[in-house]
Amino acid sequence: MERLHFHEELEQLKLTVLNMAALTQQAFENAVKAYINRDVDLAQKIIDGDQEVNKIELQVDHQSLRLLALEQPMARDLRMIIGNMKISNELERIADQAVNISERTIFLSQYSPLDEIPAMDSLIEISRQMLKKAVSSLRDMDATTAKEVRNMDDQADESTLQVLKSLIEHMVADASAIDKRRLKTRRSIQTIILSRCLERVGDLSTNIGEHVAFMVEGINIKHQKFKEEDPES
Amino acid sequence: MTDSVKFAIKDLNFFYGDYKALADIDLDLEQRQVSALIGPSGCGKSTFLRCLNRMNDLIPGSRVEGRILLDQQDIYAPSVDVVSLRRRVGMVFQKPNPFPKTIFDNVAYGLRVNGLKNRNELRRRVEWSLKQAALWDEIKDRLQQSALGLSGGQQQRLCIARALAVEPEVLLMDEPASALDPIATQKIEDLIHDLKKNFTIIIVTHNMQQAARVSDITAFFYMGSLIESGETETLFTRPKLKQTEDYITGRFG
Repeated sequence: MERLHFHEELEQLKLTVLNMAALTQQAFENAVKAYINRDVDLAQKIIDGDQEVNKIELQVDHQSLRLLALEQPMARDLRMIIGNMKISNELERIADQAVNISERTIFLSQYSPLDEIPAMDSLIEISRQMLKKAVSSLRDMDATTAKEVRNMDDQADESTLQVLKSLIEHMVADASAIDKRRLKTRRSIQTIILSRCLERVGDLSTNIGEHVAFMVEGINIKHQKFKEEDPES
Repeated sequence: MTDSVKFAIKDLNFFYGDYKALADIDLDLEQRQVSALIGPSGCGKSTFLRCLNRMNDLIPGSRVEGRILLDQQDIYAPSVDVVSLRRRVGMVFQKPNPFPKTIFDNVAYGLRVNGLKNRNELRRRVEWSLKQAALWDEIKDRLQQSALGLSGGQQQRLCIARALAVEPEVLLMDEPASALDPIATQKIEDLIHDLKKNFTIIIVTHNMQQAARVSDITAFFYMGSLIESGETETLFTRPKLKQTEDYITGRFG
């Protein structure tokens, strides 16, 4: 009673989501690169390319709904479909954050750069690592790696806070030069929004990790502290 | 063992001659719950079901080892009256098997065998049974017509009514909907939901979606062994054993 045809379709769904993950990760990496290098062309390419990810999300919804309706999946098959649907939603939102970052980059690149923001590098790095780890846990169906993603979230939150503090300091400095200050404020606000996008990528990567853990182990670990849910740790 | 356990099966082994069809089964079945037995053909689930009201006694050369306790009494003890056991533990089979009699006489059959002669009481019990089996409204005006004129789904519900008439405590169902169309199947499944308020139900089914829909507890059998049992929701979403997972997801080679 092997369900070969169904399992082939399920495998296809997984490949579609993995392809979506690769495109999303690439979009985010490029968004960060465009911000760092003040590369307006690259930023525009990311904005233009977002439709592809949106299209795949619709495709995943369609494939998943079809399998749920026609195949009555059970156990890990059911978890795979539910998990992939949720992950595709998170990926689409990450791709949207890449677009948002790119829009900030296009604005910021019109003006001279702000003074150095020390925590920004670590925020970029941590959000990149979180997404990378989430995608690799999805590719390998590895619950241990998946759970590690959310352990990095505090670090991302802390870096975001430090970025915010630095930018507020930027905004209140040079209070005498009104016109200059206005421009600096606008750049600072855009950079704050950008840092918020980076932090959101970390949050959404955490969600992906939680979905992967659910797919592999069947346990819902959302809204739980890491150490509490794992009795062996 | 708690008071809520209706059947306690302890180290049960069953043999057809030299062939061991069931091996070392330990399982508690709770009262007023639906327990589903699943597994591939030949896994022993129907043999197990038939052990619960000693239907296998009728098979020459069969032999039971271990104990099956119904309300803490061993049903294989020498003092047990098998007819009385089967009154407490009723059974419905895969294929509807009404007697070639009227609808009324089918349901009244067990009551008459048990010595009930009072017409009013018979009528009352027949009506009660047909209502329990969700059939009364459909056939109340043709109780004196032949049961063989009913549809397959109605015949199966008639057999359920016939089993319920003697007021059993447990109802064993061996693939009760496998010969029925989807609408009749739906009616049987709804009926099972209603019946579990008053009866303990144990159902064998090849249809895993049906087991998932109707049961509280599911037990997975394979090659005569009980592999895994537990809450239906858990077993169908997060089974403990790979063997169970492979079976319910269709990965059995």
